[in-house]
Amino acid sequence: MGRLVLHRLGATIPVLLLVTAGVFSLLHLTPGDPIDVMMAESVDATVKANLRRELGLDRPIAVQYVAWMGRVLRGDLGRSVRNGEPVIENVGRRIRPSLQLALLAMAISLLIAAPVALASAVRRNTSIDRAGTTFALFGICMPNFLLALLLIFFFGVTLRWLPVSGYTDPAEDLIAGVRSLVLPAVTLGLALAAVITRTLRSSLLEALTEDYVRTARAKGLSEWAVIRAHVLRNALIPVVTVLGLQLGTLIGGAVITEYVFGLPGVGRLVVDAVFARDYPLVQGVVLLIAAGFIASNLLVDLLYGWIDPRIRIR
Amino acid sequence: MAAMEPGRNAQSVSRRAFLGWCAAASGAPAAVLGARRAEAQAPAPKKGGTLRVGFYIEAATMDPHLSGSKIDRQVYHNIYEPLVTLDVRLGIKPGLAESWTQPDVRTLVFKLRRGVKFHDGTDFNAEAAKFNFNRMKTEPKSVRKGEVASIDSVDVVDPYTIKINLKRPDAALLATLTDRAGMMVSPKVIQERGSELERNAKGAGTGPFEFVEWVKDDHLVIKRNEAYWNKQGGPYLDRIRYRPIPDDTVKLQSLQAGEIDVMDYVAPRDVAAVKADRNIVVVDVPSLAAFSYQLNTTRPPFNAKALRQAVAYSLDLDQIVKGVWLNVGVPANGPVPPSSWAYDRTIPPIKRDLARAKAKLAEGGQPNGFGFTMTTANIPINIQEAEVIQAQLGEAGIAMKIKLVDAATQLANGNSRNFDMISYQWSGRPDPDGNSYQFFKTTPGTSLNWSGISNPQIDALLDRTRETFNAAERKKLFSDLTRILQDELPMIYIVHPIEPKAFAPRVQGYEPIPDGMMRFKDVWLK
Repeated sequence: MGRLVLHRLGATIPVLLLVTAGVFSLLHLTPGDPIDVMMAESVDATVKANLRRELGLDRPIAVQYVAWMGRVLRGDLGRSVRNGEPVIENVGRRIRPSLQLALLAMAISLLIAAPVALASAVRRNTSIDRAGTTFALFGICMPNFLLALLLIFFFGVTLRWLPVSGYTDPAEDLIAGVRSLVLPAVTLGLALAAVITRTLRSSLLEALTEDYVRTARAKGLSEWAVIRAHVLRNALIPVVTVLGLQLGTLIGGAVITEYVFGLPGVGRLVVDAVFARDYPLVQGVVLLIAAGFIASNLLVDLLYGWIDPRIRIR
Repeated sequence: MAAMEPGRNAQSVSRRAFLGWCAAASGAPAAVLGARRAEAQAPAPKKGGTLRVGFYIEAATMDPHLSGSKIDRQVYHNIYEPLVTLDVRLGIKPGLAESWTQPDVRTLVFKLRRGVKFHDGTDFNAEAAKFNFNRMKTEPKSVRKGEVASIDSVDVVDPYTIKINLKRPDAALLATLTDRAGMMVSPKVIQERGSELERNAKGAGTGPFEFVEWVKDDHLVIKRNEAYWNKQGGPYLDRIRYRPIPDDTVKLQSLQAGEIDVMDYVAPRDVAAVKADRNIVVVDVPSLAAFSYQLNTTRPPFNAKALRQAVAYSLDLDQIVKGVWLNVGVPANGPVPPSSWAYDRTIPPIKRDLARAKAKLAEGGQPNGFGFTMTTANIPINIQEAEVIQAQLGEAGIAMKIKLVDAATQLANGNSRNFDMISYQWSGRPDPDGNSYQFFKTTPGTSLNWSGISNPQIDALLDRTRETFNAAERKKLFSDLTRILQDELPMIYIVHPIEPKAFAPRVQGYEPIPDGMMRFKDVWLK
């Protein structure tokens, strides 16, 4: 186990280098720079040139990248070009709502997906199964933004049960915080539930045909005991994979949901930073999101070993 | 009238009606939100409450000298004060300066108001004003440099008098000083806080409200300045809470659900529905904006004037304003908006004339038409407008490709003149100078003159508009300029948009000024 962790951490370094170098070059190859955006109204070219020099934006991309890397290694992610705020503070503040949203969305998706998938798999090819499959198809096909607007219309504007948009930190006010997160979490959770339902259903169906299941049934175990002890655990591996990948996606990629509900999350932060060509901010966020992805994948790998000891031995 | 009653039926706004409002805004006492004409006795304003305002984006910085974003100004006009301010007719009235004189065309003397304190308790005086002007001129990140370029130096005459020495006559300077370039920031705050001022403006202003906190992307709160120097009227509100709600639909739903009281802008597609909603009050604020396209005169095809004209004569502005803008705006005849004193209503917008367009194509050596690329922002209304223009030009035999870009790319393409035709949506300035000089004056290096136009006649006219202080004469100069621009066509003007704002019925006392800024000093909650 210790070796696995070390091995995976070692592999992290080239991945992070590749990701940051890739983003750095792409960003600098995109037309426009932060000075153009900040000084859209200023007319003096020398002012802009001076500022570019001051911020080191006039140097070759490779030199800028090495300088940035050097600072990162010393633990300094730099400051936003736009407003001078340290990148680490900015991201630190924005990661909270993103994490809360991601975890709540996952919880909602599991609460929906587990029973639906189980019912579908156990009652295969019945109307229950077809209803489950239809639900999953609906969840996958429904665009995020449309679902979000429909939820807002029903629960925010018409019924007025939940706030239309905005964010309250549950740590400050638990009830208001959860209320502000419910609609966005359902928006994300429904789509995720659909993915998990389909994955779990097919892996359950596969496990149900295994020899050990037949043996367990032959031993006279009740159907529920068979599913609980033998089927479910073996069917979990693909689901854990999906969840692990989705955690990373939800934290950095819930842009549309964050945008529609006005949640101050990481996804919106990085998109706004790209539009403003705020290089240090984009770089910092991408670095942290990449590290988060790697961490959640590592967690998934460790979970594999816990769920299925055979993987641990290998 | 510039203000609408609740429940006013949705109706299209004709050009004539719009011009009527602008005339009303410039000639008659403007209607104030909540002060209905029929009501002889308006209820007395009362103190208290929190006004919740929804904005389409987050403010960028709290430092007015470094601000390049329109939304920042919405907050600034409540916490900072300029030396002079605008009235509803875009006239200039005293602000932090009680009065001003102009001994000669190169000198401007301001008598400053006494007894004004910054929110940090320090005095506002001549030294503070001088400090601010010097910072605008010398701070490396200053975005105000262009606006105060005509200022050579500022002298402190006595503790409450400053003398501004100009490099050249600048008739537009006073109007420029009604906004960020005239806003006074506490020198103590600048010296002690440095770049942190961008995120924290505590103590920095003199205005009716004080900065409290700004949680980025969540909210920005300001509170009543209990020690405000002006004892007439407000401030009445305890607090104002600004929230960015990036999605237009969600912002509107937030207003309908009672989560916000004010929204800064109603998109044209929502205007009819919002006006039909009895629980929302809509105020149509004529703007200073001019939405247009710059044509690159430095390279083919648009280095040929005839081809620029061919494009202009192929466009049907009425159709664009009706179909794309849903009449939330009027066809533009040039850079000066109808809300301005300098607008010349005798100059019609360019009319569509396909026969003339064809003749111009032949004159430009392209009798069978030609092709070019339009660069425009990747937002729905721009895309719709581009598609309509594409279709209209197609009928004249001109093939236009559409290239959609984000704002930073658009700025980069514009500054480097890497475009054929590029959209330019200018929010406008109170003096017509701000809508024209920097776009058409021959200037070396970067400017907003992306078209690359360099025309001695235009240059001379622009200089004269700055040297002439008589309003009637200046108006005539801007009319001449508009006529020349309709012929030269470095830019093709499409629309002067209206910027409707929507309120919960409990919001009272809002006075719409055509610069679109929401000043909440006299606003109160019923």
